[in-house]
Amino acid sequence: MKKHLLKILALGLVGSMAFAATGPDTYVQMTYGEVDSLDPAQAYDTASGAILENIYETLYTYKGESITEYEPVLATDYSISDDGKTYTFKLRRDVLFHSGNRMTCRDVEYSIERLLVTNPGDSAGWFYAESLIGYDGVNAKDYFGDGASQADLDKYWQAIDDSVQCVDDYTVQFHLIKKDPSFFVKLMYTASSILDSKYAIENGEWSGTKADWYDWAGKDLREGFLHNHDAGTGAFKLVKWAGKDVIAERFIGYWDYANKPQMKTVIIKVVDEQATRIQALKAGDADRITVNDRATLETQIRGMANAKVLESDKWLGAAASAVFFNQKIAAQDNPMIGSGQLDGNGIPADFFTDVNVRKAFAYSFDQDAIIQDVYLGKAVPLTMALPPSFLGYDPNIPIYNVDPDKAEEYFKKAYGGKLWETGFTMTIAYNSGNTTRQTVAEILKQNIEALNPKFKINVKAMPWPQFLAAYKNGQLPALVLGWGADYADPDNFIYVFYHSNGYFAKKVGYANPEMDKLIEEARSITDPAKRAALYSKVGRLAYEDVPVLPLPRPTGWMVLAKNVYTKGAPAGMDVYNNPMRSGSFLWKDIIKK
Amino acid sequence: MTTFIVRRLLQLPIVLLAISLLIFGMMQFLTPTQRAAAFVKSEQQAQHLDLVIRQYNLDKGFWVQYGTWLKEVVRGNLGYSKTSHEPVLTTIRKRIPISAELALANFFPIMAFGIWMGTMAAIHRDRIIDQIVRVFAVVFWSLPTFVLGIWLLAVLYGHYKLFGIDRAPTDILVAFARGDLKAYTGFITIDGLLNGRWDVVWAGVKHLVMPVLTMTLVASAQIMRVLRSNMLDVLNSDYVRTARAKGLPERVVNLKHARRNAIIPVVTLGGLMFAFLLNGIFFAEVIFNFAGLGQWSVTSAIQLDFPAVIGMALLTGLIVSIANLAVDILYGIVDPRISFQ
Repeated sequence: MKKHLLKILALGLVGSMAFAATGPDTYVQMTYGEVDSLDPAQAYDTASGAILENIYETLYTYKGESITEYEPVLATDYSISDDGKTYTFKLRRDVLFHSGNRMTCRDVEYSIERLLVTNPGDSAGWFYAESLIGYDGVNAKDYFGDGASQADLDKYWQAIDDSVQCVDDYTVQFHLIKKDPSFFVKLMYTASSILDSKYAIENGEWSGTKADWYDWAGKDLREGFLHNHDAGTGAFKLVKWAGKDVIAERFIGYWDYANKPQMKTVIIKVVDEQATRIQALKAGDADRITVNDRATLETQIRGMANAKVLESDKWLGAAASAVFFNQKIAAQDNPMIGSGQLDGNGIPADFFTDVNVRKAFAYSFDQDAIIQDVYLGKAVPLTMALPPSFLGYDPNIPIYNVDPDKAEEYFKKAYGGKLWETGFTMTIAYNSGNTTRQTVAEILKQNIEALNPKFKINVKAMPWPQFLAAYKNGQLPALVLGWGADYADPDNFIYVFYHSNGYFAKKVGYANPEMDKLIEEARSITDPAKRAALYSKVGRLAYEDVPVLPLPRPTGWMVLAKNVYTKGAPAGMDVYNNPMRSGSFLWKDIIKK
Repeated sequence: MTTFIVRRLLQLPIVLLAISLLIFGMMQFLTPTQRAAAFVKSEQQAQHLDLVIRQYNLDKGFWVQYGTWLKEVVRGNLGYSKTSHEPVLTTIRKRIPISAELALANFFPIMAFGIWMGTMAAIHRDRIIDQIVRVFAVVFWSLPTFVLGIWLLAVLYGHYKLFGIDRAPTDILVAFARGDLKAYTGFITIDGLLNGRWDVVWAGVKHLVMPVLTMTLVASAQIMRVLRSNMLDVLNSDYVRTARAKGLPERVVNLKHARRNAIIPVVTLGGLMFAFLLNGIFFAEVIFNFAGLGQWSVTSAIQLDFPAVIGMALLTGLIVSIANLAVDILYGIVDPRISFQ
């Protein structure tokens, strides 16, 4: 009897397991990396963005795969004043929020003003603040510290209040403090999603008035209502996000009912272990999975019966990284620069200010080896620190590659020949586990040490917190840094990498007045052709001056179940992939065949 | 007995306070920047590192930080976890049922299988059964849990499409999220029962099979070895010989007289093992994707999620203390000779 029972139990467990793929109107994506926040004003990471872009909407958005063509979403039309400082948007009528409330200009005003009021330090609020109110892009609490007078605060509030104005219920106006050609694309980032103001206020968010604005300045919005509640208009509404998996379902009242999504339920599951994701794809429980590295892709995914690997050398993402040469290394207690002198046992703090040193390093850098070793041959070298899909990228600028003769020539020129005689010792660090940083360091070490026995480069692994601290303190002599686009404007990269006030350039002490002039000029005009020409000039100047050495970009891939497609895919492709979408494509465009 | 329990419970707050001081102290070896690194996910955010440090009071002195923390804890606020993106207490409350369900489902098979194997091995000492059990124990004890888990996952789930990952199939998880099924306890199997849905109970059980199989194969070896050696000692003792001489059946001698006496160390081991299981079985939770305490505590430790680490440390202290207390009480039940006076 006992034995029979066991047998029945075993049969039951196995028998009822008849394999079921995910349903025809259910989409299951398995990825790692948890969502940080579902409050658009707080979220600043791709995991959150991939959800927000589906449950919220912005005024305009990118069209299909393009990042230079746009289409209206919650707006229907827009115009820019002649001085480039006033943007007027006509809003779409009959748009319903998930709560059932109707969208009006008041919601747009609330959403953008809330962004400016709260603007927590770890959010994207800064680049809206830079366009609309100034104040270094910083929220009122951090800007004034404890010493704010009432007059200061009133003035700050007035700036916010003036920046967004409702002309009528369906017309909104943005007033910029200065001309900003990237403002329009900034409004496509998820941070400027339009929120249901009534619903948000009812549930304890900022009241939308002057009365409590300062209480919300700089506040961590992860403790607020919108952190895990949805107040959007998107084609999908949030069912639940309890810190891990996200479950969403089709919104019946969606304004664009002609383009009703095929998927009824979408589940974004956090599965940290890659092996588990792969097995789930194999078992038919996942429609899309994240695969971290190309080696796994080639050995474990390709050839799987019910899965497909999509890739294209146009899928380069909206990001760029480069090797930076620190021109003002922090000298105090810094073991990375040895003696701190040009005596063979170290390097001076301003070692990289000599352009010959930078050029010699550039000619010691083996791009092909990086492409082979790190990306298994699937990567494209960049001519400048700008994604090739962006306006102004110039493919005709030459690219530095390894050349021992040239490297020797420039090392001999450096410091009037003194460097070649005395030699140097320095450390290039990387954070453990970061193979790109590690390989770059090792390639430089190998090629440079081969030139002269007096050249010595130590490669050192550091845990991430220590690495970040050393980076923040400016102790790293040379390092790889990457930047992901916030919005699809070249200025978002060019300024950061090349302008003396840009985030990276400032960090490594690079300043070239001629460069600054070009970048500022490109910032002040809106004509795309003229801007492109200026950015091309920036690229050429950067080739001569070598402030940074752009790294090759790996080509992207997607791993999907065989039956998954999207609407609007370009000819010959199963899906579209827009680099500005955190999830590559929107859920409403998914088709299962 | 009651005084004994009360006295042990009164020690608890002191233990917890000591743990918190210890961990808080160790965190101070990191600089504010290093602690702030936990909050930074991208270059864009690193841009505002100073603001992050100020926002989270990372630059204040030890006692200021500890004081603010303790005041909040007394009020029932363990702080906010960066890794789970919600208050620590909420996360613990949400994840305890998941780990507890997994722990309970694992505990009984591990103990039963281990005790059964140990008894068999001891009774059949040096005979073929003993040899088989020994080989089994050595193989699975030395096999890393992670490897066995992934191997079972690839074969049973990936290839034969059996069982499944996570606690239940997607449609059931969606039904819980939508509120179509009510989550009374957080245990999938019990909630299925309370909702009157046998298919949910069944699905929950099926999804427990792989982790339980993995852990039972690995962990029962330990129980088996402890029981076997103790039982061998007991089987050679005088009273067992007397019992046999009296003509008691072999079965009664072995199970009632010998095993009951040999089981005390197993109770100790079992108590600690339960505490360990309840803390979240990291491997099983990661491989089979159970959103339990183990998964969270490891991620939060790697990311230096301070409130989460200290919250988990307090929880561990609590669980281990209570498990020890339960073991002490169990001694008395298993062995009436032990008294609490």
